[in-house]
Amino acid sequence: MTARAGDAADAPVLRFEDVGRVHGSGARAVRALGSVRFDVRAGELVAVMGPSGSGKSTLLAIAGALDRPTEGRVLLEGHDLATLAPSALAALRRRVIGYVFQDLNLLPGLTALENVALPLELDGAALVEARDEAREALERVRLAHLADRFPDDLSGGEQQRVAIARAFVGPRSLLLADEPTGALDSVNGELVMRLLRAQCDAGRTAVLVTHDATHAAWADRVLYLRDGRVVDEVSAKGLPPQARIGRGA
Amino acid sequence: MSVRHSLLAILAEEPSHGYALKAAFEKSTANAWPLNVGQVYTTLARLERDGLVASEGLDEGPRQTWRITDAGRAQLADWYASPVLEDPPARDELAIKVLLAVAADGSNVDAILQKQRAATLERLQAYTRHKMRADPDRELPWLLLLDALILKAEAEIRWLDLCEARLRTRGER
Repeated sequence: MTARAGDAADAPVLRFEDVGRVHGSGARAVRALGSVRFDVRAGELVAVMGPSGSGKSTLLAIAGALDRPTEGRVLLEGHDLATLAPSALAALRRRVIGYVFQDLNLLPGLTALENVALPLELDGAALVEARDEAREALERVRLAHLADRFPDDLSGGEQQRVAIARAFVGPRSLLLADEPTGALDSVNGELVMRLLRAQCDAGRTAVLVTHDATHAAWADRVLYLRDGRVVDEVSAKGLPPQARIGRGA
Repeated sequence: MSVRHSLLAILAEEPSHGYALKAAFEKSTANAWPLNVGQVYTTLARLERDGLVASEGLDEGPRQTWRITDAGRAQLADWYASPVLEDPPARDELAIKVLLAVAADGSNVDAILQKQRAATLERLQAYTRHKMRADPDRELPWLLLLDALILKAEAEIRWLDLCEARLRTRGER
């Protein structure tokens, strides 16, 4: 399939076609990823698991166009990232992708609302417009009432929800998250996953790297990486009846 | 699962009939362990023999009302006061399978671990799907049960990961 802009509407949001990444060359070459192939469609939540050093973070960096593959190609909304000029790539990245990391990178001198509005302002949106969009994004994560608080006055869970609101602010459709629940306790980690799930059920898309199976289980699909390769792919099936659950315990 | 103590726990709230006991047990435990009503009557008969419950009134059969005795309350208090420990641990088919595969020549261990992890992850996804739909106010027992199952499944996955990691580094030291 050749991807053109016209295909974008039915193309997967993200496609990996036999993607590989080798660091260095010759005898000192180290393979971080090999032959990774998967699609992520609009509305899907996909989790990536695997031991340390299995290539999870490399996969996420390549998905976010922060790193380039040495083999295969990556399509973002149908655009082959390798063929885009740097300025077009930067524009596409800003328009489509939001990031959430374990270290939130919220700016301490800005309120929750200002933090969420910032990417839009940096992108040239008018101040009023950016703030309106930011308020909507905060409403989606049920934090509108804390819009004027500074990050230091928010709990860890609330800060992570602000980071999710920021990642999904405006038209951004793809959220890439690296251990977004890493620093949170079980209850707040679950809240963040519920929120991500709700955003995906509403049509947004997310790829989540996590070592925590209980969080990965919120995803529609779990890719399991080992030595840079996908060794397993597990999809959520239908619901087993409630009465059969306990007897298996 | 202790049907004896479960029935004592429900009777400690108020006297009840056999069928109502079955219904109350299933409601409190999120319908996860359906009780056979015959099992309820057999257990009640044993509890009566041991002096832990007594039947009230003259009715026999389904209309018979049961109440907890003082000895029953004491035994229930003991049950609540004691931690639940499997001692010795229950036979664990997965652990046995993995250990035997390692003891053989280890050649199929990776495949066993991988297949099991995928299956358990799938089960974890199913539990999580149920959790997404559960109402925390109206379905608290169900939600708490799902949390327990989710954490057990997670523990199994972590154990599988650990097995894999130990087997991979075994030859490197």
